[in-house]
Amino acid sequence: MPTLPSLLRNPVAQFLVLGMLVITGITLISSLLSARQAAQEATFDARRTTELLATTVVQPSLPRRLVDGDAGAVDRFDRRVKDRLAIDTARRVKIWAEDGTIVYSDATALIGRRFDLGQEEVDVLRRGGTDAGVSDLTEPENYLERGSDGLVEVYTRVWSPEREPLLFEMYYSTADIERRASEVFVPFQRIMVGALLALGAVATGMLWLLTRRLTRTAAERERLLRSSADASQAERRRIARDLHDGVVQDLAGTAYSLSALARDLPGGPEGSRSREVLDGAGGSLRASLRALRSLLVEIHPPDLDAERLPAALADLTAPAASFGITSEVTVEGVSGASRDSVGLVWRVAQEAVRNTLRHAADATRLDVEVRGADGLLRLEVADDGAGFDPSAATRDGSYGLRGLDSLVRDSGGRLVVDSQPGRGTVIRLEVSSR
Amino acid sequence: MSLPGRRQRRTASTFMVLALLVVASVAPAWADGGDDRVEKRGWCSQGAEWRIRASPEDGRIEIEGGIDSGRSGQRWKWRMFHNDTLSAMDTAWTGGVSGSFEVRRQVTDLAGTDRYSFRARNPDSREWCRGPLAY
Repeated sequence: MPTLPSLLRNPVAQFLVLGMLVITGITLISSLLSARQAAQEATFDARRTTELLATTVVQPSLPRRLVDGDAGAVDRFDRRVKDRLAIDTARRVKIWAEDGTIVYSDATALIGRRFDLGQEEVDVLRRGGTDAGVSDLTEPENYLERGSDGLVEVYTRVWSPEREPLLFEMYYSTADIERRASEVFVPFQRIMVGALLALGAVATGMLWLLTRRLTRTAAERERLLRSSADASQAERRRIARDLHDGVVQDLAGTAYSLSALARDLPGGPEGSRSREVLDGAGGSLRASLRALRSLLVEIHPPDLDAERLPAALADLTAPAASFGITSEVTVEGVSGASRDSVGLVWRVAQEAVRNTLRHAADATRLDVEVRGADGLLRLEVADDGAGFDPSAATRDGSYGLRGLDSLVRDSGGRLVVDSQPGRGTVIRLEVSSR
Repeated sequence: MSLPGRRQRRTASTFMVLALLVVASVAPAWADGGDDRVEKRGWCSQGAEWRIRASPEDGRIEIEGGIDSGRSGQRWKWRMFHNDTLSAMDTAWTGGVSGSFEVRRQVTDLAGTDRYSFRARNPDSREWCRGPLAY
C-alpha cells in the first residue's frame, strides 16, 4: 500500500491536489464576485421595478385631490393600484407629498401622517431620478416595519394631476433581494464549478495517460541503458581480464626475472653496475605494474565484499605515491557489511581519491578510513591539498560530486563535502551497512 | 271597563310600540352578530328601503350599500362617500322578485373614526335615499 509521501510524489496526485485547490480558490473568488454582482443586479431590478410601476401604474392612476388628503380620492386610488402594486418582493408602498405627508400607503394607518423627509428623498423630489438605500427602521415613518429583517427602500418621483411632485417609495426585503441574487448567480456558479470539475476530470485522465506513457518510456530507456551498461561492463571486464592474464602476468614475471638475474650477477664493479641497472629496471616495472593494476581497477571495479575492501582501497590509492602523496588506508569493523554498501563506499572513495589526485597537486597526505559501527559504515577521505568551495563546485557543474550525492541519497545515505580553499578536503559518507 | 283603565292600557300600549320602534331602529347595528360588522337600515323618501353595511376585509373596509324598492327594473344612480368626499359612484337597476340592488366597494380605513354614507337617487321617480354610517 503506497504511503502518503510516495502518493504525493505521484504527478497525477499532485495535479489533483493542486487542481482541487485551484478550483476551490476560483469557486470562492467567483462566488464572492458573483454574489456582489448579483446583489447589484437585484438592487438594479428593484429600481427598475419601482420606476416601471411608477410610470405605468402609479402616475396614470393618481386621482385629483389625493395630495389634499381627500378620503374618496384615496379610496379610488387604492382600488385602482392595490392589487397591481402587491408584487411579491414589495413589502411597503408609500407616496409622499413634498411637505412630508404620506398621501397614500398600502398600510392605511400611515395615510395622512407627516414625517420629515431625508435629504436624498428631497433631492429626488426636486430633481427627479431614482435612488435607493438601506432603510433605517428606527426612523419614525418605519415604525410598522420594526422587527423586520432589513429593508431596502427605492424611491422615485411621480407627478400628481395637479402637477405637484410626489415621492413614490417602495420597500423591498433585503432577504428577498438576497434570494433573488442567489437565484441569479447560483445556477451560473453550478455551471462554472461543474465545468471546472469536468475540465479537471478530463485533464486528470489525460495526465494519467501521459504519465503512464512517460513511465513506460522511462522504463524502456532504463532497460536500454542497463543493457548498454551491461554490454560496456562486459567489454571492460574482458579487457581487464586480458590485461590481467596477459600483460600484468608478463610484467610480473619479467620483474621477478630481473630481480633474480640481478641477484645472480657476480660481484665486482662490473657486476655491481649491471645489478644497479637491473634493479632500476625491476623497480620501474613494478611501478608500472602498480599503475596498471590501478588502471584495471578503474576499468573494471572488482566484485567487492567486506573482505576485499581493504585491498581494493589500497589499489585505489596506489597511484598517489607517483604524485608524491603519502597515502594510508584504514578499514575497521566492516565484516558482515552488504555488498551494496561496500560497493557504495568504494565508489565514493574512488571519486574522492580521483578528485584529490586531479585537483590537489600540492597535497602531501591522503587518508582513507572506513569504520563500521551501529549498523552504519562511515567513510572519510581526507587530503591536505588546496581545498575548494563546495557550493561553487556544485554551481560549476562538478558532476562527480553531484552524481555521488544523488547516488548516496538514493541509497538512503548521507554525503558531506567539507572543504575550504587552502584548508584541504574531507569527504564523509554515512550509509547503512545492511 | 272604566275610562281610566282604558287610558292606562292605551298609554302602556303606546309605550310598548315606541319601545319596539326604538329597539327596531337601533338593533340593526348589531343585528348580524357581535363581530366587526356594522349595518344600518332606513327608509327612502318614497318608501323604498336603504341599507348600508361596513365590515373589515383584507386590511380595508368593505362597504355594502343596497336599495329595496319592491319594483324590478328601476334605474338608480348611487354614490358612496367617505368622510364626505366621493369615493365611488355608478348606476344600478333593481332586479329580482324583491326589486332590489346591492353594491360593494372596498374603502380605506383611515386613522380615527371614518364616516361613510351610501346615497342613491331614482332619476325617474325622484326618490332619494341617504344612509350614513360611522366606522
